[in-house]
Order: sequence, then C-alpha cells, then structure tokens
Amino acid sequence: MNFNTIDIKGIVAPFSAIGKVFEHPKTVCYPDQTKVVSEGYRGFHTNVLADCIGCANCQEICMNDAIDMVSIDEDRNDRNKSGCIPRIDYGRCCWCNLCVDVCPPDSLKLGIECIQADADSNNFLYYPKDK
Amino acid sequence: MDNKLIKIYHGPQHPGITGNMSVELDLLGETIKRARTHVGYLHRGFEKLIERRTVIQAFTIVCRLCVPEPDPNEENFARAVEGLVGLEISDRAKYIRVMVQEMSRIAAQMLWMGGQSGSIGMGTVGQWSLYDRDLILDLFEELTGGRVYHMYTYPGGVRRDLPDGFLGRLSELLDYFDKKLPKYDSIFFDNATFKQRAMGVGVICKDEALQNGYVGQALRGCGIKRDVRRDNPYLVYDKLEFEIPTYDGCDVYSRAMVRRAEIKESIKILRQVIEQMPAEGLIMQKIPKHRKFKLPKDDIYVASESARGEFGYYMAGDGSEKIRRMQVKGPSLIHGYTLLENLLVDEELSNVALIMNSLGICPPEIER
Repeated sequence: MNFNTIDIKGIVAPFSAIGKVFEHPKTVCYPDQTKVVSEGYRGFHTNVLADCIGCANCQEICMNDAIDMVSIDEDRNDRNKSGCIPRIDYGRCCWCNLCVDVCPPDSLKLGIECIQADADSNNFLYYPKDK
Repeated sequence: MDNKLIKIYHGPQHPGITGNMSVELDLLGETIKRARTHVGYLHRGFEKLIERRTVIQAFTIVCRLCVPEPDPNEENFARAVEGLVGLEISDRAKYIRVMVQEMSRIAAQMLWMGGQSGSIGMGTVGQWSLYDRDLILDLFEELTGGRVYHMYTYPGGVRRDLPDGFLGRLSELLDYFDKKLPKYDSIFFDNATFKQRAMGVGVICKDEALQNGYVGQALRGCGIKRDVRRDNPYLVYDKLEFEIPTYDGCDVYSRAMVRRAEIKESIKILRQVIEQMPAEGLIMQKIPKHRKFKLPKDDIYVASESARGEFGYYMAGDGSEKIRRMQVKGPSLIHGYTLLENLLVDEELSNVALIMNSLGICPPEIER
C-alpha cells in the first residue's frame, strides 16, 4: 500500500460532524410546539361578509372549480344583490391567490391558518367568514 | 447459468430513484448490461392543461412542473407572455426575479445534495442540507406566502413587494451559507468515501455531450462553459459578475463539484442583487383583466438557466385569451433517456442511484 496516495484529510474531516452532537436540536416537538408562519402566508380564506358583494369573480377565475357561490340568508349586506357568498372546496384549492387578486371589494383574503383535520370530508367545504 | 441475464426494475418505488420513474435493468451478476428508462407513473398533461386555461389561470400550474425548483418555470412562463404581448418590466422587478431565481437555485442544490449523498448511504449530509434548504424556504414563505410552490413571478413583474427588512435577513442567511459550505466540504465534497464512489463513475464523452444537447452540470462537468445566464442573458444577469464553473473530470464527482461551485456563485450574485437593487420601482406593470388578457398571433421561445441546466418554453398565441400551444424543453428528457441509458451500461447496480442523482432528472418534467 502506498501511504502517499491515502487521502488522510478525506478520511478524518467527515468526523467533524460529531460536533453537531453538542449543538441545540433544530427540530420542534409537534404538536406541543408549532412553527410560527409568516405574516403573508397563504392559508385558509377569510371573507369579510359585510363587504362581500357576491359578484362571483372568484368563482370565475378559479381554474380548479374549487369555489361555489352559495346563497345565504343571514349576514348578508345590502350591496350583495346575488345573495351568495363563496364556498371553498379545500380538496380542490391550490392556494394560488387569484380569487383574492380579483375580489373587487377586497373582502376575500388568505389568512395564516393552515391546519384542518377532520374525519368528515364535507368539512373541507369551507365558508370563509369574518376574521 | 453463468451468462443468464436477470431483469430487475429500479423504481418507481425505490429510495434511490429521483421521483416516480423506473429503470429496467438487465443484469449480469452485479453488472448492468442494458438499461431502459420507463416513465408514465406521473403523467399530468401540463402542456394540454395549459391550452385549456386563460393566460392568468395557466400561470398557477407551471410551477408544478418541477417540485425541487418551480421558479425557473414561473420565470420562463412570465417572460414568454411578456415577450408576446410586449410588456417591459421595471428594473426593481427584474432584480427581485433574479433574487428569486438564485434563491431557488441554492435551494435546489441543497435538495440535490441530500439526494446525492443519500444515494451512497450518507444520511447526515441530507439532514443538514434539507435543514438549510428549509431556511431558504422560510424566506420564500415570507416573500411569496408559499414554501414550495411560490406562484410569485407573474407576467408583468412580481406579485408582492419585499417585506420590511427582507434583504437584511437574506444577507444574514448568505453569511450563514458562507460559513456552512466548508462544513459541507468536510463531510461530503472532500469525503474520501464520496470521492472513491464518484470519481471515474458515470463518465460522459465530451463530444457526445455537445452532439446530444446535454445541458447544465452534465455539460459543465465535461469542461464546457455553457450557461444561458451568460450566453443569452435575461433579466439583469448581464449587469452581474459571476463565473461559470467547469470541471474536466466528466464523472459524477466533477458534476458534484460544479454544483458546489454554483452555490458559491449564487451567493455572490445574491450579494450583488442586495447591493444594486433599486429602492423604488413598479413591481407589477398594469396588465389586462383575466378574460381580456389576449395573446397575439405569434410565437416565442424563451430559456433560463435552472439549477439543472437550460430550461426552455415555447409558447404560441392565436389572438385569444388562451395559449394556443406551449411546450417545455427541460433537461430531464434528454438526461433521463439517452444519457442515463448510455451511462448505466457496464456500471455496477449500486451506482444507479449515484449516476441518476448527478444528472438532475425530474420525472414530472419528462411527463409534462
């Protein structure tokens, strides 16, 4: 064996990873600790019903057909002539934010909430309400 | 019995495969005698889907062409639409886009490092690099609202302005990466095990690389200096100083070292972007509304340099609000078929994942 050709540095240097043992862990213990999401995070929708005019622009632009306009009786404002508000199907939504971009009164927004767990799949049909 | 070939499928469910594809291997003992790539496990028909949508609606789907780095897709799509309708974006928007491209490049190289090291059983490197990728994704989350699919680069500019203090946080992250890169050298790039496994494996013939149209590290790992950012500059790359790293080994190790050098160059570019970015400027030009955004009867080809090589979009309009035809030219098709099938012949079975990872193959992009 020719010892001149042995890559001593290449053999020894990887052991520097042992130093990581003494560092503080980077992971968090979910669900006791949760990561704080950023202010502009694209999470579940919120809709200010006092402003929503039921124009269905959001339904029209949604390429995934994730938005239905459903009629409501209560919480309806006077400017909402159609009497409908959007209902989002989170089985189809891709959080692209286009519905928010085209909302004329800026009532529809994406909030920072992003966790939904339920045994009933119908609960993924979501009516954004005031936040 | 000695000369009997055994046929095995490497993938689609295999930790050493880069996504949902498989390689059919004819083995003589441990040696591969023939390799055939099979795709079709992930067909989503992006190109056809895009033809059924308006320009604005199609924008949200292009990022899904490649999970590790969605941003070059968004950039190409936006630039193709802007080219067709004649939109000129502001300098500030251009700098922000370059910043997004380079952040995406570093994130993609970090993900690659995890895959490449995992392919030879080095789990630690992957843990480190994926954590570091997450630090970039944190910044992306802050900037775009999404971690993986950003849907941020939009025809006409970018969708949001930078949050307060964003460039400062980016600068801190770059300092962190500067300190972290030598540690990656110690545990991965200079690691004797990696060198032993990667040197002289998956050697690409230089002439073949040019003739067959290989791109990215497959080309630069053969010593051929080719990069869209330099050869055909877009955005503000012509105002930025950076090197195109090349290595002459033509093997897996050379391609890895090219990627390592590219991380360094991306950091350099990002520092210049932070310095030079104009404080004022429209981030988004005025564009027509959803149904009124019509493409002229014309076609265009745009290309950008992704972390894996040249990524091109051909787009044709027909005067309506829908895209008449869009075709994606990514590095994965040529690398996943011609190159991978050739490189695997006479290699050991244990080198399949190693070679495949070094080529930057992304199956969703083959099956677009």
